[in-house]
Amino acid sequence: MLKMNNISRIYQSDTIQTHALRDFSLNVKAGEFVAVTGPSGSGKSTFLNVAGLLDNFDRGQYELDGVSVQGLKDDELSRLRNEKIGFIFQNYNLIPDYSIFDNVDMPLRYRGFSASERKRRVEEALEKVGLASRLKYLPSQLSGGQQQRVAIARALAGEPKILLADEPTGNLDSLMARQVMEILHDLNKGGATIIMVTHDPDQAREVSRNVQVIDGQLADFRIYAPLDRSTGKTVSAAVKEEMADA
Amino acid sequence: MRSNSMFAYNLSLAMQSFKRAPTLYFLIMLTLSIGVGVLCANLALVNSMASDPIPEKSDKLIHISMNTWPGDQPPDEPMHILRYRDAMKIAESDIPKRSAVFYASGVYARDVDSTSMKRFDSTVRATTPGFFKLTNAPFAYGSAFEKSRGMEVVIGDDLNQKIFAGKNSVGKTLELDGELLTIVGVLKPWVLRPLFYHVTEGRAFNLTDDIYAPLETAIDLGWSIHARSSSADNYSGVEDTRDKNAYYLQAWVELDDIHQRSAMQSYLDNYSQQLKDAGEHPLATRNELHNVNEWLTEKKVVDQKVLAFTIASVLFLAVCIFNASSLLLSRFHAAKFEVGLRRALGASNRQMLMQGLTESVLLGLFTGAIALVLSWLFLKLSVQFLPRLANIAVLEPKLLVLGMLLALVTSIASALYPLYRANRYTISAELK
Repeated sequence: MLKMNNISRIYQSDTIQTHALRDFSLNVKAGEFVAVTGPSGSGKSTFLNVAGLLDNFDRGQYELDGVSVQGLKDDELSRLRNEKIGFIFQNYNLIPDYSIFDNVDMPLRYRGFSASERKRRVEEALEKVGLASRLKYLPSQLSGGQQQRVAIARALAGEPKILLADEPTGNLDSLMARQVMEILHDLNKGGATIIMVTHDPDQAREVSRNVQVIDGQLADFRIYAPLDRSTGKTVSAAVKEEMADA
Repeated sequence: MRSNSMFAYNLSLAMQSFKRAPTLYFLIMLTLSIGVGVLCANLALVNSMASDPIPEKSDKLIHISMNTWPGDQPPDEPMHILRYRDAMKIAESDIPKRSAVFYASGVYARDVDSTSMKRFDSTVRATTPGFFKLTNAPFAYGSAFEKSRGMEVVIGDDLNQKIFAGKNSVGKTLELDGELLTIVGVLKPWVLRPLFYHVTEGRAFNLTDDIYAPLETAIDLGWSIHARSSSADNYSGVEDTRDKNAYYLQAWVELDDIHQRSAMQSYLDNYSQQLKDAGEHPLATRNELHNVNEWLTEKKVVDQKVLAFTIASVLFLAVCIFNASSLLLSRFHAAKFEVGLRRALGASNRQMLMQGLTESVLLGLFTGAIALVLSWLFLKLSVQFLPRLANIAVLEPKLLVLGMLLALVTSIASALYPLYRANRYTISAELK
């Protein structure tokens, strides 16, 4: 689903060169739930931005759902973002004066769906996160947890190939965080591929794989759960086979 | 279908954007409207001043200036006013298709059948009959008089409205300064901007005349000259001018082509030479022919001050665009988060550009509406200060269209730099 090989991202100021990612490689299979952890400034967010096509990279190869993203034009990158990626942000990133419906509808507008198709998708996505009755509410009329569920619905409405979550529970209390994580786990059980940046070690332990980023490099990964129930192979087995192949 | 729905979506986003920052957008609209309004008002004046009043044959209608002054102190330039016998020499020529010799006068007019003794102060054009076809004067009722002598008149629409409430007054009799003349024709509303047949003495933007009377009759009746005149001889009244060196008549001819123009020039030059040979004037032969637009240029009908003010208003508009652009830049800067979010969710740079342009076009339409109202107000204000502009301070339909286009262009121009900046935002940076 997501293949990064030796990705480097360098930020250049007048006097300083910062290597946010250096020779970063990661392979995420369809259906995986990967937690990305690491200390602040280690490059987690840069990885997520590059993975989400929100930022460029300087070297390396990146393939998303079989499409090599190098050299793609802005229109093509935007289409990839719109069709294949769902974003869940730490601070929800909802537009405050838009209704819940309009917020979830926003990415679908750029997809060119008909009004009826958009309505169906928005309602279905909000149904999944338990907010189908709040279509006309404004974000300010919802709790933090509910707002994050709206953001998840917005990410789901386009039926993306992969969900990228940047500390999705970072602004929530533990109860609401639990609810959001349950939704993400349910989605994963339903087949969604999820990459989640988190500081919470408990959340990292709950997912199928935890990768750790230190100084812009992949430092470690731990595998907690089987991935492919049909083949019976665990993720660790799959990854080890892949590494052996390489 | 898709582009239609995106356009509708972009329109709704533009309206939301206006609602979010109404004061700022109002300021932007006001800034641009004032700039466009001032320029539009000036262009309206220049348009009226510089327009061709009779485009269908302005190149064929020729004004004649001659140099036949008999005195010792001749004018520097050929005179645009002629004495009677010079003018008649032109009228009797068979080179032009038609000609008109006239002078401006004025009388008090009343309907002889009216019980009211109210008289209307009326401008008079005492002219040969060729004037009407030469100027394409539009008739509502009746027709032109056919001879230069006769107790007949043609009246303009304004006077017909005042005295006869706009009804067909052909056959009615007017008392004009105590004389009874019969109306044979009534003109439709007739606007000439500029009034090409009489642009001297600051009359270029006067209305067309109230009464058109046969030249010989007006002279016989002694209707005084209401325009510039010069005389080398003494005379008791206009009826005494036919054989005097009194210069007050203007002459226009209609010449179909360059050959006729050349023939007319030779005809006048030969005539002047004969006068000189006979010792009637000491001057070099110098007769000048100008077509309508040449004549308007020669007489500097377009006010140089208005032109200068128009250039200044273009510069003022540039300043307005710069200010509006700065305001829009601050607005776009405030909307960086939303731009970043939309880009993250799949909007391309091109789509964001279209969103921005749609907003600019909508802004331009609102600006245009305000600008046209302001233009109208500026023109009214101009007339308060400069009453002579009253007849040209007009917003013609083409000016309304131009005003709208100007507003659209300025609105888009104001948004170009902010849009360029917005398209260079790094998505990830705007979402932090």
